[in-house]
Amino acid sequence: MKTVLTIIKKEFARFFKDTRLLITALILPGLLIFALYNIMGTIMQNAEDKEAEKACTVYIADIPDSLEQSFLLSFSLKADFNDETARAAVKDGSLDLYMAFPKNFDEAVKDYDVSSGQPAPNVQIYYNSAKPKSFEAYSLATALLSRYEQTLVNKFDINADLNGVYDLADVQNVSRTVLSTVVPMVLLMLLFSGCMAVAPESIAGEKERGTIATLLVTPVKRSVVAVGKIAALSVIALLSGLSSALGMLLSLPKLAGSAGGGITFSMYGFGDYAAILGVILSTVLILVAVISIVSAFAKSVKEANGLVVPIMILVMLCGVFSMFAGAVASIGLYFIPVFNSALVISTVLSGTVSVAGIAVTICVNVAFAALLVLVLTRMFNSEKIMFNR
Amino acid sequence: MEEILQVKNLKKTFKLSRKQRKLEGGAATKKAVDDLSFTAYKGEIFGLLGPNGAGKTTTLRMLATLIKPDGGDAVIDGKSIVSDPYGVRSKIGFLTSELKLEDFFTPNYLYGYFSRLYNVPEDVAAERKKKMFESFGIDKFAEVKVANLSTGMKQKLSIVISLVNDPDFIIFDEPTNGLDVLTAKTVTDYLAELRANGKTVILSTHIFSLIEKLCDRVGVIIDGRLVALDTLANLTAEKNLEDKFFDLYKSVKEER
Ligand SMILES: Nc1ncnc2c1ncn2[C@@H]1O[C@H](COP(=O)(O)OP(=O)(O)OP(=O)(O)O)[C@@H](O)[C@H]1O
Ligand SMILES: [Mg+2]
Repeated sequence: MKTVLTIIKKEFARFFKDTRLLITALILPGLLIFALYNIMGTIMQNAEDKEAEKACTVYIADIPDSLEQSFLLSFSLKADFNDETARAAVKDGSLDLYMAFPKNFDEAVKDYDVSSGQPAPNVQIYYNSAKPKSFEAYSLATALLSRYEQTLVNKFDINADLNGVYDLADVQNVSRTVLSTVVPMVLLMLLFSGCMAVAPESIAGEKERGTIATLLVTPVKRSVVAVGKIAALSVIALLSGLSSALGMLLSLPKLAGSAGGGITFSMYGFGDYAAILGVILSTVLILVAVISIVSAFAKSVKEANGLVVPIMILVMLCGVFSMFAGAVASIGLYFIPVFNSALVISTVLSGTVSVAGIAVTICVNVAFAALLVLVLTRMFNSEKIMFNR
Repeated sequence: MEEILQVKNLKKTFKLSRKQRKLEGGAATKKAVDDLSFTAYKGEIFGLLGPNGAGKTTTLRMLATLIKPDGGDAVIDGKSIVSDPYGVRSKIGFLTSELKLEDFFTPNYLYGYFSRLYNVPEDVAAERKKKMFESFGIDKFAEVKVANLSTGMKQKLSIVISLVNDPDFIIFDEPTNGLDVLTAKTVTDYLAELRANGKTVILSTHIFSLIEKLCDRVGVIIDGRLVALDTLANLTAEKNLEDKFFDLYKSVKEER
């Protein structure tokens, strides 16, 4: 036990006294994510603002009274065109849309008898599908017109009261659903990169530099070395993951803009956070152990980083699949390490978590991590693996 | 004389990589140590003499339990390297160029760290460190990171670290490698001092003068096999060690 502490302390000393490592593993990830997300948020917001500022420009010939109001609301209406100049303007993009109504459209529509077999009054809409803005105007105009057409033969309405609230999901629930699909994947990735920042360096690096051999000739048990390394690396990986998470959380308001207003931390209770924390801890143990095992196999840090890629993809897939499995997951799925973590986090965030799921997840993960420690111990005992340079 | 090390029929064969196989003439394996047996007595300096690639380092790595023999066994102070490697590790000090110290740490830190790994009590370790750092001249560099130490200083630090547990049985592979005459003398003097304190030292080298200066008994290995084993006095009775070695080498090669 004392020896485990000695090894943990040495790993900490190696890490925390090395400014370069501290910066690259602890400060940089959070800072980068914060900066990146802020820039993304700013760009997205600017783009939105610009779009919103400019309504589509439309020239309407012989605009009917019945439609004038709704078109005025939706478009910026232009005058000073005739049929020819309007088409040319749409073609060269200076005008977004040109609509030509038949004269006396309203009366023509009223008088028109569907069963007469005569051609119906025809509205011509000229647009330019190569220009996004023009296409947008076209879609909007056709939508407005078909809605108008429906009101002419009105038998019943759907959600006609514009001020009524029909979507009964409360804002929190929507935010919860959004969070529960995105967060597990992002969280797993952050944790994984945290582990990647330290484990290959500490195992493959020590092997590559021949310093682990010095440890292996001491009477320290291989299992103690394995436990000490994994415990210390897990703490550091957690801190690194925390740094990334902090960067993400702090930039969330900017990234989500006004739409993110519904996301608050008070949506979840103490139990939710405790569950997430427990699951994260057990997951980091597994990730560190797996990466350590791969690193012990590798001859160098570089090789370790390469070998880890397939595992990283697997972990990412766990995050992706948890989005779909979410609420319908049977308890059996909670027996799959790492995937179960994504499931628990997802269900906690969406408010559909089951206590059994959490319990199974933590137990399975801890047991699996213990198994991996055993594997690592065996590897430390194998001269073929430890001295395969 | 009390036997402290019995080596019995020690064998080690390495698998060769595909490329290496071609160079070795198609053989898939290399017998690095081939049926080696010898005994060392308490309080002596035993020298393993042999040319490059003879199997000296491989033998010592097996004695230090870093690698396992394919056959045979060795017993150090009652502990078998095969069945009780942990017991062996706590009794010995091992030095070889393969064992590196972490560049990032200082001699002070590393001495404390390895003392704790060997469960040496704090006060004993502090006292031992002071004495050792002084006699090897490390005291002035105690707070310099290993990365910034000179090659000789690194080797001296490795020696000091290999002895943190004050072992009774010391295994040194080429202890004076890369050292200038002054530093080499510090090391050989220290080895003699260890013997004077009743410790047993087994060292490997291809340097004849080191053997002549230090060793009580010598084993000569060529191609993984022990070709001579005697006291230094007996080996050098007729001619000097170098000539004796050439004779041995020639007769071995003629046998093949
Ligand atoms: N891991 C290994 N894989 C394959 N061959 C090896 C391995 N280790 C050593 N050998 C081979 O075994 C033989 C003995 O090597 P060893 O290092 O024991 O020699 P040595 O006597 O210490 O030589 P030197 O004086 O050059 O240090 C050499 O031919 C070496 O190439
Ligand atoms: Mg050697």
